[in-house]
Amino acid sequence: PQTVPFRGGHWQTSLLALGASLPVRAQPQKKKKKVDVKREQAQKDRMKKKIKKLEKAAPELIPIEDFITPVKYSDSNRVRSLPPLSFEETERRVLLMKKWSLFKQNQAQAEKKAIQTLVEAQQEALKELRLESEELYQAAIRRDEGLFPFERDGPDYTPPLPGYDPPEGKCVDITKVYTQ
Amino acid sequence: TAAAPRPWRLFGAMCLLRLPRITQPLEKEEEEMAALMGQIELEKSHYSDHEIRKLEEEEQLRRRKESLYDDETTGKTVIMAQDLEDKWEQKLLGFKAAPRITDADKNNNRTSLNRRLDSNLMLLVKQKIGHQKLWLLPQAEWQPGETLRSTAERAMATFLGDHVQAKILGNAPSGVYKYKFPRAIRTEDNLGAKVFFFKAFLQSSDLSQAELKKDYLWVTKDELGDYLKPEYLKKVNGFLLD
Repeated sequence: PQTVPFRGGHWQTSLLALGASLPVRAQPQKKKKKVDVKREQAQKDRMKKKIKKLEKAAPELIPIEDFITPVKYSDSNRVRSLPPLSFEETERRVLLMKKWSLFKQNQAQAEKKAIQTLVEAQQEALKELRLESEELYQAAIRRDEGLFPFERDGPDYTPPLPGYDPPEGKCVDITKVYTQ
Repeated sequence: TAAAPRPWRLFGAMCLLRLPRITQPLEKEEEEMAALMGQIELEKSHYSDHEIRKLEEEEQLRRRKESLYDDETTGKTVIMAQDLEDKWEQKLLGFKAAPRITDADKNNNRTSLNRRLDSNLMLLVKQKIGHQKLWLLPQAEWQPGETLRSTAERAMATFLGDHVQAKILGNAPSGVYKYKFPRAIRTEDNLGAKVFFFKAFLQSSDLSQAELKKDYLWVTKDELGDYLKPEYLKKVNGFLLD
């Protein structure tokens, strides 16, 4: 007689589920999950507190390189040795400074006067225009959007040389970049 | 009710300025002051690396001459700081910059734009007003439907062509010249004319395609008196900075 597949009662549904349905692992359940969760939560909170503390601390200031004199420039052998100024020289300098201040004052006055004349001329023009036609006047006092930004290369000492070929060169940028 | 038509004819004129290309020469006080500033800066400064190197090498040379010992250290040729300076000096002398006073200056060629590179040049054209031909800033009569600024632009385009680039300083006129027609032409509704001036800076430096008409000049502010009538000149000078 052939062996029949074992079927131990109505709880066992198939041969393959034989090992799983019988209560083979009979150890008592450890309360692992809850404690783990608590511990992990506590760890996370500690990390967050540390991060908050670090963020609250003021950001480090970026040093301005121009204001820090490098140490090698305060050597004593660097100090220039020149003969002291004579009395005539100091006198000449003082008088020149006085002349200069007067010169600059006159220059500033002249500039202000010139600007005043310009403004007056424009005001007169706008007055005449208004007498002529209100519509043209309104068009004239409208803001000119295309005027700014206005760029212009300043005048140099000599005019540009036609057909000048400047020498080739390479520029390596060594500026230090700081992050906060 | 429509406003009564005004008896004044309107013109828009363009004052096209070619800005200076080189700096103006310094005044005497400015030169003296610049020299003084240089001196003070030198006195307050410390030695640079190059100067220290030069001083040390001079010391070495002096000691070598005095003690007369042979070159113990050097079979190789050392480049001294003095040699470097001489080399730089030679290089500077080898470079020839463009002259500040150009040929056009020497010939007094007033139609050229290369003259008087250190001051503003403005465009004058010969136009027919009434029966006379006068030297004026280029002007055109205003036509209804355009703003005065566009009239001025049209005037510029008539004399210089379309390809001229100029930056007009705003929508408002800079000055006005009002005149009454001579009694012969004057009527009730044609008293005189008002010319509104607009200032513009010339942007394009090459005007070879332009200059259609023969009678044009580029002049500075002090030369304007040679060409313009006195009343007109007074009004034009009012809005020109030197």
